[in-house]
Amino acid sequence: MRMNRGFAAACLACCATWGTVAAQDKAGDGLAIGRQMLAEDNPGELWIEQGKALFHGLHGPRKASLERCDFGMGPGKLEGAAAQLPRYFADTDKVQDLESRLLTCMVQIQGFQHEDIVKRAVSPAGSNGSDVEALALYITSRSNGMKMNPPLSHVKERETYKAGEYLFFRRSGQTDFGCVQCHGEANKRIRLQDLLHMTDKKGAQEVASTWPAYRGGHYVIRTMQWRLYDCFWQMRLPELKYGSDTSIALISYLHHQGSGVMIKVPGFKR
Amino acid sequence: MRKSWMKGMLLFAPALIAVGCASYPDEATTRGLAEKMVSTDFTAPTPALLNRLVQDRSQQICSKIADAKLTQEEAAEVVKLARASIRYPSGGLVGDWKIGDKLAHNGAGSRIQRGQLEKRKENGGLCQNCHALAPGEINVGNIGPSLTGYGTQRGNSEPVAKLTYERIYNGWAYAPCSNMPRLGATGHLTPEQITHLVAYLIDPQSPINQKK
Repeated sequence: MRMNRGFAAACLACCATWGTVAAQDKAGDGLAIGRQMLAEDNPGELWIEQGKALFHGLHGPRKASLERCDFGMGPGKLEGAAAQLPRYFADTDKVQDLESRLLTCMVQIQGFQHEDIVKRAVSPAGSNGSDVEALALYITSRSNGMKMNPPLSHVKERETYKAGEYLFFRRSGQTDFGCVQCHGEANKRIRLQDLLHMTDKKGAQEVASTWPAYRGGHYVIRTMQWRLYDCFWQMRLPELKYGSDTSIALISYLHHQGSGVMIKVPGFKR
Repeated sequence: MRKSWMKGMLLFAPALIAVGCASYPDEATTRGLAEKMVSTDFTAPTPALLNRLVQDRSQQICSKIADAKLTQEEAAEVVKLARASIRYPSGGLVGDWKIGDKLAHNGAGSRIQRGQLEKRKENGGLCQNCHALAPGEINVGNIGPSLTGYGTQRGNSEPVAKLTYERIYNGWAYAPCSNMPRLGATGHLTPEQITHLVAYLIDPQSPINQKK
């Protein structure tokens, strides 16, 4: 009996830590100031209206809008939806991030071919951007000012989160890299490029609150799916499939590590 | 009263476990799920390139999650495997520092994008990404230790050349599971390329060993 009480208490204590939020403070270095200045006049804002028009307009072979798409808060309800992704969806019986969920809706509601969307999802640098990029930004922007807090109530959400953690530390390939080799310590750089310290709450919060982002060097909006793909490319690993379970697991891990942060998109990246 | 409270706890305990921390999958389940994801979620121009995702024994050992530590036995195994992996070039261990200088600043080669393998005559050494190199160079990373003055500090004797060669070929022979890629052992660089990097690091004429 005593055992049971102790176990229940331990469980409650453990659950309570899920909700805790680390306070955020601002680094005062020159680069951060520069980023702040750029972020205040972020060209990425321009894509929000485009995403909104795409969301409500009639598109695809079925000439349908995305207003029936359920991102977890009910059909067409976008307020705060991105702050609770990835999450489990009963209709697909899968944990999905924003972009894989968007893909599901574009296929099922609008009648697009999965392959066609994926082919165009990541736009060429210097282009007008892709529909998916604009949509992902618009949908996430409807969670601006809200705290990242994806659910862990479904067993598949917990499985996905743990798989993401495993993958973050998994080393492979001819460079022996996992994510943690570059993102496991504070104040590290590849050449002059700052690296986020993602095993730290503050670093993970930067990840969880700033994507999709305007990427200065590409002149377009980039999404989290793109960010992960590009890391694997640089690690000399094969190409990560857009919207794959591996990508969703990593996003789940990062969003939970960074939970509690206020979402503010578009972010601004170099 | 007290008894009924306990009875209540007994009833509720399983429910608490169901929603609580006890319901994370165990390590083996997680590994199974994640490895299945890796085996299906990547594409490559040739099936052979997908093998890059397959971990060798050392990579498995070196993928410790979060704060988990290497055991002494694991570290010893990684060192043993690393020592056994090292191959030496037919000629000397010290090549041409000028070639090594270029290699150290070359971060290209072997990447896969849009169904294509990046084709180069040779892979870059990647050093600049993570290490400070010649004095005054600004565009250098800091994930690894500074290599500025490497040869000035150590000299260019034969043992230094050998140690340097081995640390580039497979640094896990000395620092098991360090962040440093096993550049020779994984085939990213050839033994000959590594001799040029050795020269770049230890030759007194190399920019890395000049005063600012």
